[in-house]
Amino acid sequence: MTSGGTRILVIAGRIIRQLSRDRRTIGLIVVVPSLMLALLGYLISDDKGPVDLGVVNEDRAVTLPTGEVALGERLVGELKESELLSLRELRAGEWRDLLQRGEVKGVLLIPADFTRKLVSGHGQELALHLEGSEPVTAGQVQRGVALSLQDLMAERAGGEMPVTLATSYLYGGEDYGTLDYFAPGFIAGFVFFFVFLLTSVSFLRERSGGTIERLAASPVSQLEIVLGYLLGFSLFGALEALVILLFSIYVLKIQFVGSIALVLLVVLMLTLGAVNLGIFLSFFARNELQIAQFIPMVVIPQLLLGGLVWPVETLARPLQWLAAVMPLTYAISALKDVMIRGHDLAQIVPSLAFLLAFAVLMVGMAVLNLRREI
Amino acid sequence: MNERYIIEVERATKAFGRLKALDGLTLRVREGETYGLLGPNGSGKTTLIRAIAGVIRLTSGTVRVMGEVVPSRRVATQVGYMTQAAALYEELTVRENVSFCARLYGLAGRARERVDEVLELVRLTERADNLVRVLSGGMRQRTNLACALVHRPRLLLLDEPTVGVDPRLRQSLWNYFHQVNREGTTLIISTHIMEEAERCSRIGLMRAGRFLAEGSPAELKARAGRDDLESAFLYYEGEGKVTGHD
Repeated sequence: MTSGGTRILVIAGRIIRQLSRDRRTIGLIVVVPSLMLALLGYLISDDKGPVDLGVVNEDRAVTLPTGEVALGERLVGELKESELLSLRELRAGEWRDLLQRGEVKGVLLIPADFTRKLVSGHGQELALHLEGSEPVTAGQVQRGVALSLQDLMAERAGGEMPVTLATSYLYGGEDYGTLDYFAPGFIAGFVFFFVFLLTSVSFLRERSGGTIERLAASPVSQLEIVLGYLLGFSLFGALEALVILLFSIYVLKIQFVGSIALVLLVVLMLTLGAVNLGIFLSFFARNELQIAQFIPMVVIPQLLLGGLVWPVETLARPLQWLAAVMPLTYAISALKDVMIRGHDLAQIVPSLAFLLAFAVLMVGMAVLNLRREI
Repeated sequence: MNERYIIEVERATKAFGRLKALDGLTLRVREGETYGLLGPNGSGKTTLIRAIAGVIRLTSGTVRVMGEVVPSRRVATQVGYMTQAAALYEELTVRENVSFCARLYGLAGRARERVDEVLELVRLTERADNLVRVLSGGMRQRTNLACALVHRPRLLLLDEPTVGVDPRLRQSLWNYFHQVNREGTTLIISTHIMEEAERCSRIGLMRAGRFLAEGSPAELKARAGRDDLESAFLYYEGEGKVTGHD
């Protein structure tokens, strides 16, 4: 008679034998956690790239008995040395435009009387204009400027620190909480994840249930199958987006300046890509478990690198390249444009164009796979 | 190409890796025939049917249906294909499944009448609004048949339509087959049940992707000098000879 312990071992043995034959699962167990941890470790650490800061230095040097003093220039020097910032010296007329276009994430204005006031012992207030749509970036700019100011003051004997920063925000600002900044990313992330999962599992069932065989024998073409799926699932993608959006606005009461119609348009474009990616990848899975295994490879990197939390431009170059081919990057960027910056359709066309191009590419890949299969 | 034949398979070979599911097989079927593919599991019956349905590509050789090389969209509209396992959408009702197929094949205006007619034929009128999920295996099989029949195909491909079906249902399925055949539809039926093969006008005995012999059940028995198809099959298998068609 077998004891309970033996029976337990029999079951455990079978599971180990079964799983060890599934090479993909073993690969995932070994490779994915290391990759994810490496990525997370990098993202959470502080050694990310510098953020673009514009500086308009109108400061005039003051001649003292000890020589000429130009503190504005010295401050620019400190800012240049900062690892947090990448400095662009601007003229007074051009900074607003650059800030609006997001080419610089902040602008520091050094007025003409900066040195004069400081050497005469008066306090000085410096205006720091932040782009403000990315809390991580805005924080990095503020930290960089504050540290440079500290360095400047430390050089000066006496150690007085009469300089204060008057910070203003182009977008967002003090009224915005963490959630307000993250909402665009959540919407894009959820929609992408949900639609991808729904489509890939549905299509897998179409294959495993044999109904794809009947479709293949019918007069329906592969392209028609893929486009039919696209149309059907887009409705659910849009519904998902609407639920998340309305919940965020009316229940979580997020700050929201743009148009709901534009948000839906962006989400619809993202859905097109997600549906077809789902169809395309479902060919590489034999069952639902294998579909679930795509999640750490397809969805999580996009959430980490797509600008949900960490702005893409602060990532290391190779990760930026990776982010540049991910649809979520463009969806999050377009949604931030609309929801936080209040941009209109014309301003998000480039992001929409990428999402559309991605969707078309995925339609092509899905059709090719379908053609190979049947 | 000969217009008298609705199906012309020329030296069809289909390899899956090293395994040859079809091995240079040639087949011609005339319009109006009930042609049975008889052979054990793995003899290539399903692969042959799939090749005729145009859902797989041959490694070499050609398949012509109604004079056209498949896959062809024009031909596809006139072919009905019943897969071995019921290929149905579980979350849809019987009627929705059949009507989906009807519309795939372009039956727009007349679709509803025709769906009702087919459901009547397979005796599923009363279960028409039930979800497929709750149906028994036999009812699924009949729904599957209804899907393959709904567009009145000229050629009906039936891959082991009676597997796992009780004797009464098997009897009634064969009644449907004979009925649609009388209405002019050519049938290709694969089976590994000898008595089913007896009901066909002509059969091909399959083994390892080839025909061991071809002919009417009576001819095959006579040629082998046996009284029943089973012993005839064993005779041809023992001979190991591959005959062409007549």
